[in-house]
Amino acid sequence: MIAADRILGAALIALGAVSAYAAMQLEVPFAADPLGPSPFPTAIAMLLALCGLGMLLRPTDGFSPPERRIAPPLLVLAMLGYALLMLPLGFMLATALMATTVALLFGARPPAALLVGITTAITLWLLFDKLLDLPLPKGILPL
Amino acid sequence: MDVFAALGGGFGVALQPGNLLLAFIGCILGTAIGVLPGIGPLNAIALLLPFCLALRLPPESALILLAAVYYGSGYGGRITAILLNMPGEPSAVLTTLDGHPLAKQGRGSAALAISGIGSFVGATLSVIAMTFLSVPLAKLAVAFSPADYVALIAFALSLLGAVSDGPAVKAWAAGCLGLLLAMVGVDSGTGVERFTLGSLELLGGIDFTVLAIGLFAIGEILLLIETRLRSEAAKLGGGKKLSLREVIFCTPAMLRATGIGFVIGVLPGAGASVASALSYTAEKRLNGAQGKFGQGDLRGVAAPETADNAAQIGNLVPMLSLGIPGSGTTAVLLGALLMYNITPGPLLFEQRPDVAWGLIASMYIGNAMLLLLNLPLVGVFARLLTVPAWVLYPGVLALSFAGVYAASNSAFDLLLAIGFGVMGWLFRKMAIPLVPIVLGFVLGRMLEDNLRRAMSLSDGDAWALLGSPICLILWAMTAAALLWPLLRPRRV
Repeated sequence: MIAADRILGAALIALGAVSAYAAMQLEVPFAADPLGPSPFPTAIAMLLALCGLGMLLRPTDGFSPPERRIAPPLLVLAMLGYALLMLPLGFMLATALMATTVALLFGARPPAALLVGITTAITLWLLFDKLLDLPLPKGILPL
Repeated sequence: MDVFAALGGGFGVALQPGNLLLAFIGCILGTAIGVLPGIGPLNAIALLLPFCLALRLPPESALILLAAVYYGSGYGGRITAILLNMPGEPSAVLTTLDGHPLAKQGRGSAALAISGIGSFVGATLSVIAMTFLSVPLAKLAVAFSPADYVALIAFALSLLGAVSDGPAVKAWAAGCLGLLLAMVGVDSGTGVERFTLGSLELLGGIDFTVLAIGLFAIGEILLLIETRLRSEAAKLGGGKKLSLREVIFCTPAMLRATGIGFVIGVLPGAGASVASALSYTAEKRLNGAQGKFGQGDLRGVAAPETADNAAQIGNLVPMLSLGIPGSGTTAVLLGALLMYNITPGPLLFEQRPDVAWGLIASMYIGNAMLLLLNLPLVGVFARLLTVPAWVLYPGVLALSFAGVYAASNSAFDLLLAIGFGVMGWLFRKMAIPLVPIVLGFVLGRMLEDNLRRAMSLSDGDAWALLGSPICLILWAMTAAALLWPLLRPRRV
């Protein structure tokens, strides 16, 4: 699949162009140094676009399709859910939920996955909140 | 002698009981994460950093621990490579070629022993070289002007394309992306917001841990979950033990590999993977006729493992003496030092000898520990491979997220890490190297700051960038490194 390289190349050109434009639009209130904040990112963004052009024109070995098609998107969904549920549910519940899901995706049986999820959540809570004194969100659990 | 007195002072730091214990813990952790595919030294160090800060470890102790994890990982990757025929670390790919056939022939323990010895030889000789090389290099760099630094960083970045396995343009693109990511946030010189997309969370810039954990931990787990693990471990026990004659037989190969590994390691931008590949090819070319490379030659295991560890240590030299990291993991180590308000570079050896020499001394001790850990106890580490993926990776993922959250207390950073994870996964599948992103990210600010400082000094005259002989040499080397991928014979 050469198409993947072409798509990414085009995306990098777009990203480079937008970044270069954004960097050139920067308004500098006063000149602190002769160069200022704008030229360096502009140049790098243009280089990025140039690299994208190179990939677009000369695509090489592309994308290797995954063996399990559904697992990666499901994992991404599980992680996104985790990031959004962390504050409302609290670290403990959100982590147990996420770790159980990930264990299932890695092929665990449901009871074992649940055990992994709960153990992971409790261990990390003890490690971070109690041992290291780095507070994690409590959420709805009375902790 | 100056060096010996300084090294003695370093041992005074490294031999303190607490620091000895940290080095020991680091060695065990390092070997373990080296064994486990999907967790590398880069994300392990990024994850350990919040722990060091939370436990209020002094900088030298934190560095001793983190560095032990780093060079310890070079011992672990081979165990997976030999027993499972898959690399525990990217740089152990070459070890599978001869290591796994040996294990299948019942000589797994011999292969593990020689590669352990090789790792020790490569690492220890490189630490000796580092002991004598660091200060002269630092002294050379004290005189570097901002313009010289611009040229040096440009050279480090230009090497990324020349040494990458895939097409150079992909490595360059990744490097540019890293440089741009470093620009996100408020510009320190003028207070102007750059690339923040109006988001408050991005004002302070992207946190290094978020980028490293996203790209390497989350991305790696996405890569693992899409394949079905099917390899079966080769038996460890039994077979003829490694004989002294075999060790002597492998010694020339190990010495050559140390040389190759260390030199490659000191060069910024080129890492352990390149070194192990080069030394394996060199041995095969030298002894190909009488050897049985690819079917289980002990030298084919010893050489890449020796070079791998030698390069890891070599990578630390420019990081400590110049403040320019040569690999992704040393970039994280540099980030760790910066969080402690310590700037590695030419002045480090004068201003914080306890940190610089404590680290070097601890590496002598750590490598001796690792040899002891890895020869008799190799079976314990090999047993890690029997832990099922569904126990291990949910824990690794949750630990990654907890680390990201604890460092910033923001759910936004979790989303950012997931975004980088998906990016890392897709990039990996498209053969776009990730290390240039990390290096570009770390070097980006440094490059821009020095560039702007140089221009200030010269009142905006761009010719000042070519103003010294060092500059001219470095820019010539940069040009050569950039042209090399375009001129070298195209591989099909």
